[in-house]
Amino acid sequence: MQTLDQTVAEAPPTVPRRLPIALDGVSRWRAPLSILALLALPFLLPSQALAVNVLIYGLYAVGYNLLYGYTGLLSFGHAAFFGTGAYLTGIGIGAFGLHPLLAMALAVVAASGLALAIGTVSIRSRGIYFAMVTLALAQLVYYVALQASSWTGGENGLRGFTVSTIDLGIVSLDILNPLTKYLFVLAFVGAALGLISRILASPFGAVIEAIRENETRARACGFDVERTKLLAFVLSGLFCGLSGALSAIHLSIVPLDSLAYHTSGTAVVMTLVGGAGTFFGPFVGALTVLVLEDVLSLWTPHWQLALGSVFILFVLFLPRGLWGTALGRLTALRGRR
Amino acid sequence: MNRQGPGHGAVSRRTLVRGMAAAGTLAGIGMPFVARAAEPIRIGFPTPVTGPFGAEAKDQIRSAELAVKQFNEAGGLNGRMAELLVRDDKLNPGEAATRTLELIEKDRAHFIVGALSSAVQLSVNEITRSRKVLYISISQSDTINEAKDFSRHTFHEALNPHMTTAAVAKHAFKKGTRVAYLAADYAYGHEMLRGFKRAAAAIGAETAGEILHPFGAPDYSTFMPRLRAMRPDILCICNFGRDQANSIKQANDFGLKKASKIVVPVLLHNQRLAGGADAFAGVVGASNYYWGLEETVPTAKAFNDAFRAAYAGAVPTDYGAYGYTAVRSLLMAVQAAGDTDTDKVIAALEALKYDVAKGPESYRSCDHQAIQSVLVTESKPKSEMKGEVDLFRILEVEPGAEAMLRTCDELGHRA
Repeated sequence: MQTLDQTVAEAPPTVPRRLPIALDGVSRWRAPLSILALLALPFLLPSQALAVNVLIYGLYAVGYNLLYGYTGLLSFGHAAFFGTGAYLTGIGIGAFGLHPLLAMALAVVAASGLALAIGTVSIRSRGIYFAMVTLALAQLVYYVALQASSWTGGENGLRGFTVSTIDLGIVSLDILNPLTKYLFVLAFVGAALGLISRILASPFGAVIEAIRENETRARACGFDVERTKLLAFVLSGLFCGLSGALSAIHLSIVPLDSLAYHTSGTAVVMTLVGGAGTFFGPFVGALTVLVLEDVLSLWTPHWQLALGSVFILFVLFLPRGLWGTALGRLTALRGRR
Repeated sequence: MNRQGPGHGAVSRRTLVRGMAAAGTLAGIGMPFVARAAEPIRIGFPTPVTGPFGAEAKDQIRSAELAVKQFNEAGGLNGRMAELLVRDDKLNPGEAATRTLELIEKDRAHFIVGALSSAVQLSVNEITRSRKVLYISISQSDTINEAKDFSRHTFHEALNPHMTTAAVAKHAFKKGTRVAYLAADYAYGHEMLRGFKRAAAAIGAETAGEILHPFGAPDYSTFMPRLRAMRPDILCICNFGRDQANSIKQANDFGLKKASKIVVPVLLHNQRLAGGADAFAGVVGASNYYWGLEETVPTAKAFNDAFRAAYAGAVPTDYGAYGYTAVRSLLMAVQAAGDTDTDKVIAALEALKYDVAKGPESYRSCDHQAIQSVLVTESKPKSEMKGEVDLFRILEVEPGAEAMLRTCDELGHRA
């Protein structure tokens, strides 16, 4: 609260009156507004391939944030769900000749199932132990994929399932067209955002936030903390699995890296840069990280140094992330009315 | 601004707006014409600038840029200049796929050349073949020749593991030789191991044992005693980049080189520099290029001289040379086709006989593998080195022949 008060004190004396009302509207219509903002993305970014990546990793981070930002559980194993979604989509299309949408659906179901299994084992532990258990279990999945090379392509990654058109019955989408592909991915991401917004606004959403704030008190209030945590874990795995499935369609390959621990780390970094526990923050984080990587690596081979410095600045000066800090400022303005 | 007064400011702003509008109109009218007249030939070049293969990537870029520079200085394609668009694939297949998509969709690259790791080149290949863009791969791979990953848009300028291992084995293995293998546990290591064993079986050499090590392992000390216990005549180390320098150094520390000969599938210029003369002395391996080739091959001399002139006396490296041979052959085909049209250039490349750095080369029609010579080299001890970069002795130049390759049938290509 201290930082919030300070911000209030530093706020400029003239406050536009319309702002607070606008802010209420923004939070009520957060999912549609997010989708509108994302619609403009391919025209603002240097390339559409990057824009699709922002969508995919944005959804990945939003899914992760459901567990980390809202439930307060720091997982280091979310690559398992991302990778499972991606691999099973690819295998479904390539090896079994399934319709891409059916393959994606099955992959998302499987990723949720995996989340149920990993969640059941890991939510018994807390804090760093929880993080380590999720990391270890995710590494297991990684090695399974590495060893089952006749199915997954091993070190070379999964190939041979390039989707060029998706037949929707009435229309057939040309996925090789970058803009069509963007809109196709956005349709899924938009639906997922709507669903997540609804979940967060429901009583269940309030309970997971209560668990994040004070687990003991939540339990004392009569909530079944374990089951709630597990459900949050499964939902988080579901959305991360969906983002993986979309990435398989986007890149038409599944690299083994998509199951590796640094993909798990990516979710953490993006969520933190954008702002953990905010609805749109993870998207801002994904956008920031991916655009910085893209632009910096064009300028200098030492882009990692520049990117690292930017992250340090974020941790030092924007501990609530870009979006979190911006929201904090706006809320402070409202408080002054 | 305050001193100038409002009137002055308004006028200058209006002038500015008018000027911008005029410039915009001019650009709008002029640009399409200008763009059409001198639209450059754009070659997308994804390569792992960051990561453990960074040194090789940097050499590839320098060589490729030299090829582009020479093409442009010679007048380009009737005045149409070539342009190299270097992108960092970060040694990551997903990143490489995104970068290749950007190169094709946003930068409108006519051709893609590049990639160093096998997983990365296969992902680039997946993107280019579904979008029907010509891709020349310059990283060793057996997989990319096989029918499953092949498309008529894919060319493979690099040697493949089958060729290098066969050349090295032919030179080093004899009937009854006991060979122990240390191989990196990923596609490259597996393919090299497979190649060596195949060659060993044909020659009649025995396998004393094999150990797989994790990719990028920093420490090999646990493997060395086990390898020594196998009592091999030859220790065959199948890995790449830093792994190669580290494992050879440690094999040396454990005295393995005294007991047996060390053989590698690809003897790398940069890793020999990093590992030092003492550790590498006597190690035998294969190579696509070594600058010392200039004593016998005139095109190698020309390439080295151009490289030395462009880069302050430095000599080209093996993996670096791939950047040159691939881009040069591509631009020669563009010239022959007289156009950047993909189908015409494919036909021109298929028909091309080129000799740009290492003797005659050509692409086989069924799998687009470059038929080219393989050098078998031995690392010199410090006492025999005449200079900083006098690293290897060329033991043999295995001339390019189709017999070196696996047959089209074996790769699954139907005639």
